[in-house]
Amino acid sequence: MITEMVNIMCVGVALAYSELPLLLMDKHGLDERIHDRGGEKEVRFYWAATPTLLPVWWNGRLQVVRWGNKDRAERKLPPTGWTWEDSIVAGKWSELAPEPVVVPATYGLANGVWFKLKQGMRGLLVHDRKGAPVVFLICQPATRYYQVMTRSEWMPLLVDEVI
Amino acid sequence: MVAHFAHLDADCYYVSAERVRHPELVGKPVGVLGNNGACVIAKSYEMKARGVKTGTPIWDAKELCPDGVYIKRDFYWYEILSRKMLDIVGTFSRQVEYFSIDEFFFRAEPSARTATAIRDHIYETAGLPVTIGVARTRTLAKLFSDTAKPLGAVAVLGRDHERELLAHMPVTEISGIAGRRAARLAPYGIRTCLDLADADGRLVQKLLTKTGYELWLELNGHPVTPIRTERTPHKVLARGGSLMGNVADPTLLWAWTVRHIERLIEELRFHVVRTDALGVQVAWKDGESTGGVCKLSCPSDRFDELLDAARVALRRAYVPHGTATHLHVIAPELRRAKGFQLSLFDIPDPKREAVAAAKAAINARYGRFKVRSGTTLHLPKVYKDPANDFDICDVRGKVCF
Repeated sequence: MITEMVNIMCVGVALAYSELPLLLMDKHGLDERIHDRGGEKEVRFYWAATPTLLPVWWNGRLQVVRWGNKDRAERKLPPTGWTWEDSIVAGKWSELAPEPVVVPATYGLANGVWFKLKQGMRGLLVHDRKGAPVVFLICQPATRYYQVMTRSEWMPLLVDEVI
Repeated sequence: MVAHFAHLDADCYYVSAERVRHPELVGKPVGVLGNNGACVIAKSYEMKARGVKTGTPIWDAKELCPDGVYIKRDFYWYEILSRKMLDIVGTFSRQVEYFSIDEFFFRAEPSARTATAIRDHIYETAGLPVTIGVARTRTLAKLFSDTAKPLGAVAVLGRDHERELLAHMPVTEISGIAGRRAARLAPYGIRTCLDLADADGRLVQKLLTKTGYELWLELNGHPVTPIRTERTPHKVLARGGSLMGNVADPTLLWAWTVRHIERLIEELRFHVVRTDALGVQVAWKDGESTGGVCKLSCPSDRFDELLDAARVALRRAYVPHGTATHLHVIAPELRRAKGFQLSLFDIPDPKREAVAAAKAAINARYGRFKVRSGTTLHLPKVYKDPANDFDICDVRGKVCF
């Protein structure tokens, strides 16, 4: 199920290295996620990485939290890293007291295509049984443009832009 | 001092324009994607070095350049920066030709210093890298600016210097001489630009007609083509393009036709022209192309009249059970404003005129297609898709096309 979804989802986020405070880099051991793209360093957060992490603007500051429930450690959370905008609107997450968050990103990755983002993506943050934050990327049906570009049927909900 | 001809060509223009507002893209492999998101229409030098060419499909590009960054085209933005560049060049020269969105010709002093000053000023004030070539004719200026890319500024003023550069350029470097024309020249040993310049003018005219002869004159330093500070009026206007996939349903085909007519009318009104006929051109999946034309009783830019003509034209172009991929509507016989001749049966219809004016005013204020024909409701995938807001790179006033 998860493998199938990975093929149609945004599976990576890159954020300029300069955007991440050193404190966060150290705290989460992000050094090994540093990549060079055209001479500039960026930190990449892949769904395939372990642990799966994402940066989020939450409670007014930039934090790095767990991305989804890939290892199925939480029974009350879906075993995925994404959620549909429709299911949020339908109130399917309401019992978990979700909070909307912004996932800052310079680039997104879907089906091997890195695409430019102006600000980032929208996410949904809930808590696991121990109270730790977990973020899910919010998805919507892809525009035709995005669909052709990435061959994905779903696209992340972007902050103030449409691709 | 006698003014020479200068050619300005923006370097990787769409990518450079994106870098103006996203400086983090500088130095990275960047590809701008076309209207459908399928093909690279502009690439940075970094991406070009990885083998990605203009027109490369994205699925091939991502294999060639896995770290490349892809961006959706934004023609609004590119036009804004283009006009800014044009304004800057206008402060240096009184005669500027807006050739295309990223290319201008203008009269300039014959010095490399002038070219450098303009190039640097554009880079400093607009953030755009451009290359400028100055020479005795516009054909030479264009050829020499191409040799100085990127961010170059050259003035080739002496005949010896010209000959030295022309000797190393294949004749196909000249805009207007490609495949068939080059093949016609080859048996006469004309392979480089210098070969062409040194050839007998009468032979060139025989082989390449008047256009070729004019190029020959320009290669030899005799200016033939002037700087056109204003675009010559359009002879034909057309709107259309890809149907976003395969269309076999005639209802959908008609909906596309109507959509394109609404776009065409917008253009007719902008240029204050009417058309005497309406053509519909359809490209089919099997590679065939068909067309139909319908004459109008008098010149028109009115929706109801063009719609009636389009029905006839589409019927003539239509292939039963065919699957269409592209469709264009064409206004092939334009008439300028002032004194349109009405036919005997053409009764002025103030009500319809008023409706058309109200529609145009609302769309001008709130955005294209805010008020549109109900027929186009058959295209929800087009109109409900927020990614399809602006689908044509058509800068008004440019000379090219």
